[in-house]
Amino acid sequence: MKKTLIIPIIALCLFLGTMTIAASAYGTPESIVAAGKVYVSSVTYDPAVFFTGDVGTVTFDVTNGNTDQGVVVNHATFSDIDNNIKLISGSYDYSSNIGPGKTQTFTFSVEADGRDGTYYPTFSLSFRDADNLWYKTMVQIDNTPLVVTILDKPDAFTQGRKKTMNVQVANPRKNDVYSVLLEISGTGITSTPSKIFIGELGWGANKTVNVAITPDQPTTLVTTVHYANGDNIHKVTTDLPIVFGTDKKQANPVVSNIQIKSDAGIYHVTGDVTNAGLETANAVMVTTLPPAIPQDPYRTYVVGALKPDDFGSFEVTFSGENGTSIPLQLLYKDADGNIITSTYDVKVSIPANNSQTNGLPLLPILAVVIILAVFVGGWAFYLRRNKK
Amino acid sequence: MRHSFAYLFLTPDAFFQDLITKKESLRRPAMIILAAGIAAGAYACLVGGLTATMMAGIMPGMETIIVLSAFFGALLFTVILWVLWWSGVTFAISTVFKGKGSFKRTMEIVGYGYLPQVVGIIINAIVAYLYIPKVKVPTLSTAAIQDPQLIQEATRALMHDPAMMALIQITSIISIVFLVLSANIWIFGLKHARMLSLRDAAICVSVPVVGYSIYYLYMMTVI
Repeated sequence: MKKTLIIPIIALCLFLGTMTIAASAYGTPESIVAAGKVYVSSVTYDPAVFFTGDVGTVTFDVTNGNTDQGVVVNHATFSDIDNNIKLISGSYDYSSNIGPGKTQTFTFSVEADGRDGTYYPTFSLSFRDADNLWYKTMVQIDNTPLVVTILDKPDAFTQGRKKTMNVQVANPRKNDVYSVLLEISGTGITSTPSKIFIGELGWGANKTVNVAITPDQPTTLVTTVHYANGDNIHKVTTDLPIVFGTDKKQANPVVSNIQIKSDAGIYHVTGDVTNAGLETANAVMVTTLPPAIPQDPYRTYVVGALKPDDFGSFEVTFSGENGTSIPLQLLYKDADGNIITSTYDVKVSIPANNSQTNGLPLLPILAVVIILAVFVGGWAFYLRRNKK
Repeated sequence: MRHSFAYLFLTPDAFFQDLITKKESLRRPAMIILAAGIAAGAYACLVGGLTATMMAGIMPGMETIIVLSAFFGALLFTVILWVLWWSGVTFAISTVFKGKGSFKRTMEIVGYGYLPQVVGIIINAIVAYLYIPKVKVPTLSTAAIQDPQLIQEATRALMHDPAMMALIQITSIISIVFLVLSANIWIFGLKHARMLSLRDAAICVSVPVVGYSIYYLYMMTVI
């Protein structure tokens, strides 16, 4: 008897269960109410602001606000009518259950194709037992790049002299950028360092770096900033013409009080070197260049360091032809060890008192001639008188 | 009595007239030439000392060699001048005037006639002794070994030093004055030694004296 009752009860349960499942595939007032409590709890774009052409992701967090009932979703997609923000990954085409109080994440890959502006693409979610969820989001496309500014640079560049520049990298965008790298380059330019890693640069933030530049020729200094906007690499370049000129502050050794003496075929040039600049001239040296041939004892004279307005005496010795112009070379080092040279032409000539000695010794010659004339004349007179 | 050197200066004609009667002898003339040579050597030592100082930087120890070379060079030059120039040239010219007498006799009278020059050279040595400390001597470095131009320039600078110039001028005048005195003696000596007229003897002596003087003047202008 009991067996005969159990079988019909089980069959009834199976029927009811089947009926329940069949009934739930269709919108019911309860399921519609439940779907109404499902909402998009957060939207995240990466990058937060796109450049045109950037590829990124958008992530939607969908939360089931029901406390006792799950909802089944069977389709999720992202779209923009004007295709300014283009979906490049697939939609979610499978069913999933979002339990009560749970959050489901939907991530889409997108590409920004529009111009600068604000766009409102739509996220849609289909419920199995109710209608769809539509959610408009806001996203911006902004092509404003990072800004490189030369905050401070020398008044003038000179060949081979190391000078320090102050470079600022600023982020005027509305989102953070990452992996910021400043690179300094240019033909005939030595930069120390040539690359500086700045890292993350927040929106509205800036970073200042010092770079030592040594140009070997007039050229163009290229500052390039590489950075990542999300996963997209961008760069911005700034050119700075390097034109050689006179540094207004640099040391300026001036040669004066030149005196030339000739001794045993060796010329001794003495004089003073005065620093008429505003910086210290270190290791000031004086020597001569061809056609002069430096000779001992002062082939090269080391004056030493000259502070502004200081002076020092020097003496150089060399051999060369009288009457020629001899280049006097002045060398000094700046604070960075750069060697700066300058030349002064010195006219070499035997001083006037020496020149006079080159003339004929007229007085003794005249004396000798007179003595001889007296001797010969005297004898001629003596012989003529004796003859008579 | 007439062999006294005082007679040589005061009455050379009588001195040689008496000498010609004696047998030829070069002993006393050679002594005079030796004295002249030593005096010239002393003068050369003083001047050579300047060159030695100049060269000291090139080769240390060279000073002694230079000084000794200067001394013996001057001595030898005096002897050569006696034999070849004054005696030889005078003798050769006198043959044009049919002069008679041996070359030895000519050397003898030339040797005697050198006596004033001994005095002149001694005076020159004294002048040199006084002037040489005032000469500023240029010094050469070792680099001059590879550059003869430097040595030449140094020598030139030395010779044009004001004190050196004064020394050369004073000694030149003294030398010529005493050479003229010697020539005066040689004329009378040659007259007797080669049996010439006074006019011919004067011509024979004047030629080498004037020639030597011209050479002397030339050297002064070259330096």
